[in-house]
Order: sequence, then C-alpha cells, then structure tokens
Amino acid sequence: MAILELKKVQKTFGSGRTKVEAMKETNFEAQQGELVAVIGPSGSGKSTFLSIAGGLQTPTAGEVRMNGTALTDLKEKKRAALRLKEVGFVLQASNLVPYLNVGQQMQLLDKVKKGNMSKAESEALYQSLGIDHLLCSFPKDLSGGERQRVAIAKALYTNPSLILADEPTASLDSDRAFEVMRMLKEITEEKQTATIVVTHDTRLIEDCDKVYQMTDGNMELQEKERYTV
Amino acid sequence: MFLAWNEIKNNKLRFTLVIGVLVLISYLVFFLSGLANGLEQLNREAVDKWEADGVILTEESDLRLQQSIVSADDFDGAGVDEYTELSQLSAIASHGDKKENVFIFAVDEASFIMPNVTEGNAFADEGEVIADDTLKEDGFEIGDEISLSSTEETLEITGFTDKARFNAAPVLFTDLNTLETLQYGEMAEGDNDAVNAFVIRTDNLDSVEADEALQVVDTETFIENLPGYTEQNLTLTLMIYFLFVISAVVLAIFLYVLTIQKISIFGVMKAQGISSQYLAGSVVAQTFLLSLAGVMIGLVLAVVTGLFLPAAVPVAFNYIEMLVYGMILIAVSVIGAFISVQTIVRIDPLRAIGG
Ligand SMILES: Nc1ncnc2c1ncn2[C@@H]1O[C@H](COP(=O)(O)OP(=O)(O)OP(=O)(O)O)[C@@H](O)[C@H]1O
Ligand SMILES: [Mg+2]
Repeated sequence: MAILELKKVQKTFGSGRTKVEAMKETNFEAQQGELVAVIGPSGSGKSTFLSIAGGLQTPTAGEVRMNGTALTDLKEKKRAALRLKEVGFVLQASNLVPYLNVGQQMQLLDKVKKGNMSKAESEALYQSLGIDHLLCSFPKDLSGGERQRVAIAKALYTNPSLILADEPTASLDSDRAFEVMRMLKEITEEKQTATIVVTHDTRLIEDCDKVYQMTDGNMELQEKERYTV
Repeated sequence: MFLAWNEIKNNKLRFTLVIGVLVLISYLVFFLSGLANGLEQLNREAVDKWEADGVILTEESDLRLQQSIVSADDFDGAGVDEYTELSQLSAIASHGDKKENVFIFAVDEASFIMPNVTEGNAFADEGEVIADDTLKEDGFEIGDEISLSSTEETLEITGFTDKARFNAAPVLFTDLNTLETLQYGEMAEGDNDAVNAFVIRTDNLDSVEADEALQVVDTETFIENLPGYTEQNLTLTLMIYFLFVISAVVLAIFLYVLTIQKISIFGVMKAQGISSQYLAGSVVAQTFLLSLAGVMIGLVLAVVTGLFLPAAVPVAFNYIEMLVYGMILIAVSVIGAFISVQTIVRIDPLRAIGG
C-alpha cells in the first residue's frame, strides 16, 4: 500500500529573475515496508522534497497524499495533527528539546498524542538503539551519535507510518552512519513503515530498496547497482 | 505545564532572575498599597469612627471644617435620624519637651460622635480631654497637663481612645464649653453657640432640609476634600498602576527574549506536529508559575517588613486589597506573555528542516 504519494508536484520559490524551481514536476510513491534513499548534490531540492512530503510546506502545484488523505487541501492546524499521527521526522541536528532528558522527550509526546509505544515496546526500542542507559541524560551531555539515535527513537515512538529523515547521518562517523542506516532498515521492515532517507553519502544506500537521484529539482529513480560496487 | 515546569527546573538562574524582578515589583506594589492605606487612615480614621452618613457645613466653606462657622440652631434636624454639632480647633499640644500637632474636636457627651474610651476616663469637667492613643506612643500619659500654642489655657488628659486621627494629626476630644474657653479665653460666656458643622445620620441625604447657606455632603466627599487627601491618594494609586504596566512590560520583554532563543526548538516541535496551542499554553503556564512565585514572595517580604517598621511609618496593610493587587500583577504578567504567544504561533515548522 502506498503510504505517500506525490502527483505532479512542483515547487517554485520567488518569481521573475529570482525564480527558483526547487522541484520540477515530480511523481513519487513510497510503499509500506520500503526504505527509499534520495540522493543528490547540495541545492538540488532534497530538503524541499522532504518537507513537502511531510506536509511542512505546500507545493506550488500538484497533490500530496498521506495514507490516502490529501495534504494539500488541509490547513496548517490539520496538517500538524496529521504529522503528529503519521510522520516521524529524523532531522540533521538539534531536534531534541534541550531542557528535557531523553525519557522526557518521549513523555512530551505522550502529553500531546495517544497511541504511542507501550512501555515494553519503547524499552525494546531503546535497547536496540543502545540508548537505554541514557534515559536520564540531557541532550547536551550526549555525543552526536547518541543524540541521533535518540532522535530516531523519538521519531519512532509515535508509531508513525511514514519516517522522513533528512541527512540523519551527517554528524556521524561512517561506522555509526552505517549502523543508523541498518537500524532504519530493520525498523522499516519490522514496523512496515515507509521510510525516506535524504543523504548525499552514496555509500549508505546499500540497504535501501529504491534510490532516487535528485538533480536541479528533477527526481529520477536509479538503478541501485550504479552506486554499489 | 510539563514543558513549562521542566524548562524552569533546568534553567534555574534564568528564571530566578525573572522571579527576582517580579518580587521587587510586587514588593513595591504591596508596600505602596500599604502606604496609601496607612496615609488614608491617618487622614480619615476619626471621621470613619463617627459612622455618620453626612456632614453639614456652610456653603462658603469649600467643605473645609475650619472655614465653616454655623450657629447651633441653624439646623433643627429636619429629615435626619440623628445629628450633633461639631466644633474643632487645630493646635500644637506640648507637655514638657514633647510637641505634637493636634486637632481638638468638641463634641456633645451624649451624641453618637462621642468616642469610646479605651483607657482611663471620659472628660467630665472643663479642661479635660480624651486623646488619640498615638499620643501615648509619643509619650503623653493620663494626667498630663497639655499646654496649647494658641492660648494660655491648659488641658488634662483623662483617657485615651483608639483610631482617632484626622487629617494626619491625632485628635483630642473635649466638650463644647472647653473649646469655647480655648477660643475666647476669659471672654467666653458659655452661651456661644457657634460650631463648625453638624454630623448627621440618615438613610437619605436628599431628604435633609437645611438652610440655604448650608450644604449637606456625604461623609466620603467630606473626606475626599480634606487638604491633600485626594492628591496623595491619586499619586500613590498612579504609582501602583504604573508598576502594573512596568511588570507587564518587563515580563513581556523577558519572555519574548526567551522565546526568540527557542524559536528553532519550537520549530522542531511544530514540525513534529505539536500544536501551537500546546506550546503557547506552556508559555502562558510558565508565566503564571513565575508571576505567582514572584508575587507570593513579594507579599511575604512586604508583610514581614511591615512587622519591623517603626510606628512612625504610616504603613497599614489591607490584606484583601493586597490579594487583589497580587492577582492583578499575575494577570498583567500573563497578558505580557501574549506577545510571545503571537511569536510562537507565527513560527514556521519548516525551520526544522534547515539546509
Ligand atoms: N524558502 C526558500 N526560499 C527560496 N528559495 C529556497 C527556499 N528553500 C529552498 N530554496 C531553494 O531551493 C533549492 C533547493 O533547496 P533544498 O534546500 O531543497 O536543497 P537540498 O538538496 O536540501 O540541499 P542541501 O544538500 O544543501 O541540503 C535551492 O536552490 C534553494 O536555494
Ligand atoms: Mg537539505
């Protein structure tokens, strides 16, 4: 089942001489249990794609559907509610609340949303991410890798059907980066989420089911073998 | 509350400063309200003690007691439940090296404005007075001979009464004959019927039938026209109101700066789908907690200070008024937080995905 569908989506910024076509007409689908990588050079429109996919901004033209609901028709308030329910974001940096410890980051989600992970489920998740001993630590006391793993835990905690990760491995060394990608792969299969990872590190796409290349706002499905040796 | 409280817990210094500023402002508000209240009592105690509904003075007196001269038979009590004459004189009373500015009220012993005696006895013979007990604090005692600035005559304190200050000076109560002697000395014949005013009790001031040359005013208006009374009150009230505005502005600025610092983290939370209402609610809750803490500490400090103030400082706390002012302070602080609420609502969740 398609969790995310983009139909003829376009995004332009500005007009006239300053017009930027961040996304040219794009069709895209992500299925349940599918790990998708989006790669491309800086400024090619990867983040723009991800934010439109996650309902953080509306496209200039076209339609975005998340689990069948057309995001493009919704007001920000409704979109926020949908994001909370369906989307888990893993962002490049600083997506943890500085004055909450790791355990409290999850508690906050319990305050604003029902149907999150049970205690047993979340403990298993912390264990598999290797952060179960960090629950009382504050973000400032964590290493970059630990922070990223906490961010992943936070994204998964709400049982999202769609995981969107923007350069989740940017602040990690390559061993850690591979580990994070492997975890995302596992979770995608286990929880049957659709997971989209934006990265510019082509070494990380080994585990992915599909690879899209983004160039100047054009998104194209690639043969994975092109990148893997 | 969850976000609000945890943020306070983890940024103690920052929020202690905010609370500190609020403590200072609320302390000042409470202290000023105590001062306003104390000064008010200093001026009106003796009048409140009458439990009268109105005062009759001459039309020309501009509601000043000493400027009003009426004859005792100018008013016959038409349209009132009770009435009595009042004469007054202001003087400097001294005993030994103790000197005090006083008002002398001459009252009819049988009238309702005759003060209660808290110590000693009421005046009986000519030249005897009951004094306000603040004079006791100044060292005057029962049996003391008091000489006055304006006359050779002397008075003797036979008793004390409480809460009897008028226009910032303690009052000596005596009978009408004694006052006449003080005013006219040897020439007094005991048949002078000139007094300053009539004090009346009635349900309806409009039904009072008085001579054309007289005017009937309610007690509150009479008090408000005491020299300096209204001016003093307005000044202090204005200062208090200003402090309300200052506390709103100071808190608004503090919270705004804190909010600006947190824009990116708010952006992340909004990207995640946490609603603006929840985030704004947490800022308002935080403001409430901070201002509640600040106001409570300020209140306690003010009350404790009050316990150690010398009697000469006219501070009298009205706890109900303080509670109301405290609630106003909290309310204006929360209003100050709404600037930050606006900022939070406007934060674009897209900020979370930078680059
Ligand atoms: N809000 C905006 N206003 C104007 N132009 C924008 C805006 N957001 C993105 N762009 C432009 O759209 C293009 C795509 O930007 P985007 O952030 O999607 O690139 P990216 O592929 O994520 O790059 P990077 O790898 O550096 O993160 C860029 O040319 C950028 O300047
Ligand atoms: Mg980007």
